[in-house]
Amino acid sequence: MIARVGKEPELASSASRIQSFFARALRSPALSVVGPLVGPSPRLGYEFTQTGTAPRYAAYAESDLPPARKVSVSPSSAFSDLRFAIYLGDSTGHADLLETNADHLPITGRLAKVTVPFGDRSFTLVASPSGSLGGTLSAWLPWIVAIGGTLLALGATLTTEGLVRRRGRAEHLAIEVGRLYGEQRTIAETLQRALLPDELTTVAGLDIEARYVPGVDGVEIGGDWYDVIPYEDGRILVVVGDVSGRGLGAARVMASLRFAVRAYAEEGEAPGSILSKISRLVNLGRDGHFATVLCALVDVDRRECIVANAGHPAPLLLSAGAGHYLTTVVGPPVGVSSGVDYDSVTCSIPSSATLLIFTDGLIERRGESIDVGLERLVTMAVGAPSGSLDSLLTSVVGDMTPDGSNDDVAMLGLRWQR
Amino acid sequence: MTRPEPGPDPAARAGVGDGRASVTTSIDAAGARLVHLEGEVDIANGSAVQSALESALAGSPERVTIDLAGLEFMDSSGLAVLLAIGSEVEELRLRRPTAIVRRIIEVSGLSDVLRVDP
Repeated sequence: MIARVGKEPELASSASRIQSFFARALRSPALSVVGPLVGPSPRLGYEFTQTGTAPRYAAYAESDLPPARKVSVSPSSAFSDLRFAIYLGDSTGHADLLETNADHLPITGRLAKVTVPFGDRSFTLVASPSGSLGGTLSAWLPWIVAIGGTLLALGATLTTEGLVRRRGRAEHLAIEVGRLYGEQRTIAETLQRALLPDELTTVAGLDIEARYVPGVDGVEIGGDWYDVIPYEDGRILVVVGDVSGRGLGAARVMASLRFAVRAYAEEGEAPGSILSKISRLVNLGRDGHFATVLCALVDVDRRECIVANAGHPAPLLLSAGAGHYLTTVVGPPVGVSSGVDYDSVTCSIPSSATLLIFTDGLIERRGESIDVGLERLVTMAVGAPSGSLDSLLTSVVGDMTPDGSNDDVAMLGLRWQR
Repeated sequence: MTRPEPGPDPAARAGVGDGRASVTTSIDAAGARLVHLEGEVDIANGSAVQSALESALAGSPERVTIDLAGLEFMDSSGLAVLLAIGSEVEELRLRRPTAIVRRIIEVSGLSDVLRVDP
């Protein structure tokens, strides 16, 4: 033990529990989670191990759970029409309860349940609409998942933020500073990847590949994301977005936008309408962030793509050995002005074409105009060795950011198989 | 005919963050406060530049003009800074952007949001 700050850890009250937890945690480079720890003040414990260097260090922290696990929700909050309970792990037993706003558990009625990975464990959210929400559960499910996803991201954000703060204090006391960079980047990346889709939707006739490359400047999490969402009629919505700024606030805005886009897509909204609707959810003055978002509704068989653009770089279309950017109607990024209507354009896709949708980290380079970066991307993509879509993305990312990009890069590639 | 532009007072110029950008204030011909943003703004110094602009605007003037003639480079992080400042004051005007800066404003769909004078 090098240093201890703050209150006595709740974990310290059980020697055998400490031993078994650290035996597990020290083997894992990821965030290890233990809890809920019951006692005079119930808490959730976290542990990070710095691996790959000798000597090895571990930092352990605990965060308070609400008294009796009960949180109150403001009536004006988006969660006020929802009863929810968050559990550690995938069971919904009372011993694993972290927090709830419900008076009685288990929550009954029309239930929705989502599990989201967190460190070496996961959170399970159980939610049910309360009060006057009408309709069938399936109609409301997108909203519940949207709100639940945001809530879980928020929870992870707050706990990670608290942990980083606590680490900061311990650092002053004892631990050398330099190595912390790699460690925090790992926390940030853990959260970022938890918020990106694990597996992309598969669509007949289309190859889909994605890349997410963290920036090399700074250690804070960025707000880039991508998503592929199937529509009932067989079309797919592809989304690439970039929340301004960095840090956990940017990640939180990213999570709420990503889940909101999914919710509107579930309702079959068109790309322009989705952008108009999500633009009401972010406000630069209030949230400190805005976002560029590109939504494309792709009809694989008809070779058609309906594209709406909120301040985002246009997609690059590669076909027959040439490349050009789709002409889009560029509206402002979401969150900078209220009441924006976004127009969409319909583009035809030639046979065997490839579409690249990306965030500006791929093309921006210090000291040069954005046009130079856009032109370089055309050259690199057209000149890439012929091969699979996967190898094209690897080649483009490598050629465009040979020393790593300062900013995060997210990219989706779509290739028509014929 | 071009009228002479009042420039920043060189004695008051101080580097911001890593020294690649500077923020200075002067008084324009009409007697209004004018902020000059010079150098480069990107992800590495964006938050330092934002703090420097906020300090330069202390006393919260309602109408602010930022002169960009000396801003050689700005990326989307720089746009975020300008938009943040714009959300903090009643009216923000930008003027004399270089070609690189004008272009990033255009491609980001902000020509109708940020008021840019020649």
